[in-house]
Amino acid sequence: MFNTLISSNIFFLSLLLWIAGAVGALVLSKNDRLANWWGNSFAILGSCVGLLFSLSVLIIGSTFSFNIDSTLPLLSLSFSVDKLSAFFIFLISLIALLASIYALGYVKHYYKKYNIGALGFFYNIFLAGMVMVVSAHNALFFLIVWEIMSLASYFLVIYENKEKENVQAGSLYFIMTHVGTAFITLAFLLLYRSTGSLDFGVIKETIGNSSPLIADTVFILALIGFGTKAGIIPFHIWLPNAHPAAPSHVSALMSGVMIKTGIYMFIRMFMDMLPDAPLWWGVVILILGAISSLFGVLYALTEHDIKRLLAYHSIENIGIILLGLGSSLVFWSLDMKPLAVLSLVAALFHTLNHAIFKALLFLGAGSVISQTHTRNMEEYGGLIKYMPQTALFFLAGSMAISALPPLNGFFSEWMTFQSLFSGIMASNVPVRWVFILAAGSLAFTGGLAAMCFVKAFGVTFLARPRSENVRHARESGFALRVGMAVLAALTLVIGFTAGSITNAVSGVVSDLSAFNSSEPAFFSTIQTVGMRNGFASISMPLILASLIVTMALTFFAVYLVSRNRKTKIGRTWDCGTTLGPRMEITATGFSNSIVTIFRGALKPTKQTSIEYRDEDMRYFQKSSTVELGIQDIYNRYFYQPVHMLTIKASEYMKRIQSGNINMYVLYILAILIALLFASGM
Amino acid sequence: MIPITPQILFFLETMLFASVVFMHIAKKNSGVIFLYAAQSLIIAIALFYSSLKEASLLLVVAAVATFLVKVIIVPYFFSGLIKKHRLQFSVSTYLNTPMTLIVLALLTAFSYSHFFGPLTILAPDKENALSLAIAMVLISIFLIINRKGALSQMVGILSLENAIVSFAYVAGLETTAGLQVGILFDIFIWVVIASVFASMIYRHFGSLNVSVLKHLKEE
Repeated sequence: MFNTLISSNIFFLSLLLWIAGAVGALVLSKNDRLANWWGNSFAILGSCVGLLFSLSVLIIGSTFSFNIDSTLPLLSLSFSVDKLSAFFIFLISLIALLASIYALGYVKHYYKKYNIGALGFFYNIFLAGMVMVVSAHNALFFLIVWEIMSLASYFLVIYENKEKENVQAGSLYFIMTHVGTAFITLAFLLLYRSTGSLDFGVIKETIGNSSPLIADTVFILALIGFGTKAGIIPFHIWLPNAHPAAPSHVSALMSGVMIKTGIYMFIRMFMDMLPDAPLWWGVVILILGAISSLFGVLYALTEHDIKRLLAYHSIENIGIILLGLGSSLVFWSLDMKPLAVLSLVAALFHTLNHAIFKALLFLGAGSVISQTHTRNMEEYGGLIKYMPQTALFFLAGSMAISALPPLNGFFSEWMTFQSLFSGIMASNVPVRWVFILAAGSLAFTGGLAAMCFVKAFGVTFLARPRSENVRHARESGFALRVGMAVLAALTLVIGFTAGSITNAVSGVVSDLSAFNSSEPAFFSTIQTVGMRNGFASISMPLILASLIVTMALTFFAVYLVSRNRKTKIGRTWDCGTTLGPRMEITATGFSNSIVTIFRGALKPTKQTSIEYRDEDMRYFQKSSTVELGIQDIYNRYFYQPVHMLTIKASEYMKRIQSGNINMYVLYILAILIALLFASGM
Repeated sequence: MIPITPQILFFLETMLFASVVFMHIAKKNSGVIFLYAAQSLIIAIALFYSSLKEASLLLVVAAVATFLVKVIIVPYFFSGLIKKHRLQFSVSTYLNTPMTLIVLALLTAFSYSHFFGPLTILAPDKENALSLAIAMVLISIFLIINRKGALSQMVGILSLENAIVSFAYVAGLETTAGLQVGILFDIFIWVVIASVFASMIYRHFGSLNVSVLKHLKEE
């Protein structure tokens, strides 16, 4: 009781600190430096308190509920924090803490260009909004805080509003997020119609009496609504535009954490609130996960905008998380709860890992952009000489996202593989094929992700500078490096301590009522994690130790062999021409083979334009340009037809909009009479 | 005190109904405003009688406020608008007088139809007066539709409000004095704003014919 009281007070203190940060930053907006310090210092304080709170819930188990009835019917300011909510609050607070430390230095390059107070205001409101989203316990209140989070993030996306493309990206995000909210609202209204309440607890208790059709409809609506926020294909089109448009520390939060609020609501609704899930729910999520992961990484490979590349990788990783979540739903419906626990632990573990390495990569990209003033990777090259520490941190993030051992990404993907292999072994024939395809997709995704980050790191940091901006680049400031260094260290620490963290995540899963008494299909100790049936096991400390020993032996062997050799330094042979950046492989060239292989899905385009010295003779070329691109098939075959249809319908509706007041009043009277007729019949 | 019988109520309602019908026929703006003032006077008297019957000082205040706002202040504002812009005659209507009267007859017949049955149950002994009040609502809306002049439309909206008040009075759905005063305050503010808007329309287009507003639409 005492713990709960303290815990709830800490929770509200963190919200209060963020609100104070928001208001203060706005008040101090005339002084850029003060506004930056105030806004980000309070964000750091709020995040620290949020971390403390979430850890107290996760370790001590001091869950709490808080409710204030409002004067409006059906609305109550209702919070409830169980271990699942606390896990996501931990995630938000952790990334917010490091992003805010980074922002203290990063925001300086906006001084005298943009309103720093407004940035601090929306940033803190965004943080508070996310925490309230994962702790709201009333549907109407949830929609309000969901809207607060969405609007704050919208204003952050269009923060650099002098860039036209940012404003366009913001508009697309605004539309898509509200389309999603419309579906979520419909889902909640349907739940209200069936249960007579908007309280999550009451819905959970009474929804079991409703027909399966209601649950299925709610599933579809919620899948579209929350899936749009999570960025799953085909509802992803806003994500590659919006995430790069925001300031980099905000991109880190949006990509690392905000899209996970969609995953949180998937788990909350499908595995906690709604009754036993039918098999097809899990199969649908598995298929969507496989598509999202594969296409996400394919689109990422074709990108040469560093932030868009990272944004596409968010789609890929959301796909991987969905593979775990979908497997869990399938196992749950087949009454294989130990395997369901394994899959859900894999999904949550990857949620944690993705938040860390994606935040790290976005912060690294932000540092590079702040020095080179471009997002185009073709203009980078050789940055390792100018920004060695940033390069090291980016390399750690690249290795983690490529699932290379001993970093954290490797372990969660290994767990996801275990759940998919278990599905292949345990399920019946049609579902087995879904698991086989999902496992294949994950294996393929892993390989392509590694390839993509060889490209991203190589083109950005290795070889020679491709533009003058690179030659003027300097190492990131102290605050920026602290934020990145801690995240880079976390990728290693979480990988090394995966066994202990698996236990903690397992505690979060077993806190859900569906898995209260379920023994997981795996065991985990500090040294080893393995399947109880003996199918596979892994020891992350052993892998780390092996790598260290191997590297040490290699260095020692090389030293022994080469100690008596003299080092000769000479020019690289280059056929007599001058070495230059044009000899380096470009990002576009690197991915060309993949684009050719997947041309059926990626639909590459090539546009050649030639300018002649004499337009009439056309013998001598002055210049020629080749533009390579790819088409987003979802855009072409789904969104563009929908857009055309909307335009046509709007043109038709425009005829009704005569601009004549008398006509408008006539419409009112006609509708009134029509309704009276309808009610009379 | 003399009790208000259903016959007296029906008579008062007939007068109100007649005032809206005459608004449709009136050609001069001053005539429309006079009819509105007369209509409002009947409402104010009814409310005043009701306040005496209830022996409530607050209701008396509400009735006096109704008289002041609707019978004196609003017509005064509108008269000022007519003098300022020399708007003696109302601008044209969409339908001519015979057609207008046919529509009025149809709307009145509709208000007596079974579609409004559930509403007349509110006061079964005053069924005729209630139906007439509903007819007054519909005819007031039609006044807004049929007239092209902004002034007539503003009067149409105020007449609609009077029609709703009269319906509530006949049906016995009387509101508290505080609410009545609040509504009156709203009306007063609305009239002030609407007058400013009307002046702006006149300055911009040189006319109070609202059909010219369609030029504001994006072509």
